[in-house]
Amino acid sequence: MPARPDPNHQSAVDRLTRASGPIDVHVVSGQPATIRAGAERSWLPHRPWSRYLNSLLLIVVVTVAGQPLRLFLSPTNVVMLYLAAVVYAAVVWGRGPAILASVLGVLAFDLFFVPPTFTLAVSDTEYVLTFIGLLVVGIVVSTLAAQAREQAEAAYARALQTGQLYDLSRGLAAAAELDELLSVLRRHVEKTFGRQAAILLPDGENLALRAASLDLALDEDERAAADWAFRHATPAGCNTANLSAARLRYLPLSTARGALGVLGVMGPAQPDRHLLPDQVRLLEAFASQGALAIERAELAQQAQQAEVLRAGEKLQAALLNSISHDLRTPLVSITGALSSLQEDSAALDADARRALLDNARGEAERLNRLVGNLLEMTRLEAGAVRVKSELVEVVDLVETGLEQLRDRLGDRPVVVDVPADLPLVPGDFVLLVQVLVNLLDNAFKYSPAAAPVEIRARAAGDAVEIEVADRGPGLPPEDLGRIFNKFYRVQRPGSVTGTGLGLAICKGLVEAHGGRVEAANWPGGGARFVVTLPLPPAAPHG
Amino acid sequence: MADPSLRVLVVDDESAIRRYLRTALGAHGYRVLEAADAQTALASAAVERLDLIILDLGLPDLDGVEVTRRLREWTTLPILVLSVRGQEADKIAALDAGADDYLTKPFGAGELLARLRAVARRASSAPDEPVFTQGDLTVDLARRLVLVAGREVALTPTEYDLLRFLVTHAGKALTHLQLLRQVWGPGYEQEQHLLRVNISNLRRKLEPDVARPRYIQTEPGVGYRLRTGP
Repeated sequence: MPARPDPNHQSAVDRLTRASGPIDVHVVSGQPATIRAGAERSWLPHRPWSRYLNSLLLIVVVTVAGQPLRLFLSPTNVVMLYLAAVVYAAVVWGRGPAILASVLGVLAFDLFFVPPTFTLAVSDTEYVLTFIGLLVVGIVVSTLAAQAREQAEAAYARALQTGQLYDLSRGLAAAAELDELLSVLRRHVEKTFGRQAAILLPDGENLALRAASLDLALDEDERAAADWAFRHATPAGCNTANLSAARLRYLPLSTARGALGVLGVMGPAQPDRHLLPDQVRLLEAFASQGALAIERAELAQQAQQAEVLRAGEKLQAALLNSISHDLRTPLVSITGALSSLQEDSAALDADARRALLDNARGEAERLNRLVGNLLEMTRLEAGAVRVKSELVEVVDLVETGLEQLRDRLGDRPVVVDVPADLPLVPGDFVLLVQVLVNLLDNAFKYSPAAAPVEIRARAAGDAVEIEVADRGPGLPPEDLGRIFNKFYRVQRPGSVTGTGLGLAICKGLVEAHGGRVEAANWPGGGARFVVTLPLPPAAPHG
Repeated sequence: MADPSLRVLVVDDESAIRRYLRTALGAHGYRVLEAADAQTALASAAVERLDLIILDLGLPDLDGVEVTRRLREWTTLPILVLSVRGQEADKIAALDAGADDYLTKPFGAGELLARLRAVARRASSAPDEPVFTQGDLTVDLARRLVLVAGREVALTPTEYDLLRFLVTHAGKALTHLQLLRQVWGPGYEQEQHLLRVNISNLRRKLEPDVARPRYIQTEPGVGYRLRTGP
């Protein structure tokens, strides 16, 4: 096939392959289109003309070797030597050389063995039959041998392709993530076809390059071709009927659900090095294998997302349940007390009335705290909390916090250990006091009434640590990770009341200060909460 | 006024609610015992002499429906369950498991006392009382006679079975499941339309004003109740 000047034009081979449908089209190229050492059929003869020459030489050798045999054998038996040579030529060199061998064999036999020798004249007509027999046998044998060889060749090619496809599907099956899968597909296309490859997947409205060979960049024209291939689910680009000016050939990655993306393969490095038809088919098989794998990965991803969503919904439902329980419980006592006082006051003595009112008031305060915490949490989550930046003395924070909790303190021993030379902390005084109050409130709730609570502060590099520790039973190890979650409460038989928001608010407030809060247990029992607040970059010394 | 000797076990994990019930019930002479969780409640029910249990459905250690089930394995002690909106399924399950009545939080003192009285009265009254009277309605179970303002009313056998079941459990909230299983038998549990049709027939024959039923009350989402008392 002649080299064509315009490589961007779709090749005649491609058109023929496409039009031929189920019919096999065999392309015999003048220069075999070698793609790569790995894919080349190495036992294909390099130069066809040398096969004819070999065939000629074989007949010469047989003729020379046959001369001494004339003494022992009748000429008709010498024909067997030529027949053997024809069969050999057919098996080893193919049909053409075999036919040449049979024609030359007939001529050589006639010239050198059939009397009168050295002329083409034939004295005995029965030799005519021998000539015809030799010629026919030569042609038949060589045709059969050539067919056998073509079948072997096809079988080899099929085995090779099956192996390559198998390699690809094994690689794709092993890939867990979509990105890994794409790079497996890219690598296999590069290895099998010896060309650069790119994979584009849709990202919103446009296609995004998700995997590409090294140094492969796609310009606007390339992307347009890829886009066209994706939208029409039809190959486009180099050596196709559509947008063939592109450097790459773009194959849609199609499944039953439609095109999922595009596989781009670089066009031939030299204009006439086209992919063979079976290679085009292999490439298409690669594309559909890849498409199925991508579909599988995407479905798995969707399933995972749905699972996450479901888990989220379950959590939401649990939160809602928890909030509604917490909001409703105080209302039960309040509504009950009010209705008792209203409908039933005759039956109530002064003590009962006082008890109902005290109870209702305590519950109203609890409701107020809960609503306050919910609003605080909402403000924190909405980023609506403004953190003032003033320099705060930690000892002031501790004293103010303890003052606010004086009613709750009772006789509980409190150890305060704040070094006098502790640096000032930048932050919002009111919010930091609230952090401390929430931590102390937590410590009071979860430790026996007489157990000491310790507040310690220390400088730690470019930060200050404030620790609140109790001597209660400590935190269950499995809860350490979620203790700061909203509405999370450690399950205790003693039924400690609370909103499950105190620590979550602490965490939000501390993080709004650029710090962090961590929970841990004492080795000997008791919970420790450590707030770490960053200090501004150290002023130069001196 | 309740019998001052009535002993009530209040099972709720919220101390404020227990406190309120103690005060409100104590004022009416009930002797109130408390339990904060299911295990304590079950232990207490086994050893104490009780007349009534007020059971919150949302307990920390065991589901209230399960507590009802376990109590019903050995006692017919009246059980009043406390539920909140959103616990409809649990409420119905508790009634199916044998709870006598329910109250939705938050509730008023009057409602609570009325329910307690009704539950206690049902428990103490003779179960085979042959004649039921409420307003103009009289049902004589011994003679299979239904009278409205002294005039006999003809009922189909199914309507009569349904009315008889309501009468023998007068004042109690009966779930769809209980009514269907009792009147139509197993296998009819899903046939709610049968129940609806027969209830509406009964109401047409018994109620002076079908739009405002005086005898057969609908418990929304739960079932029906035959009213007793005013």
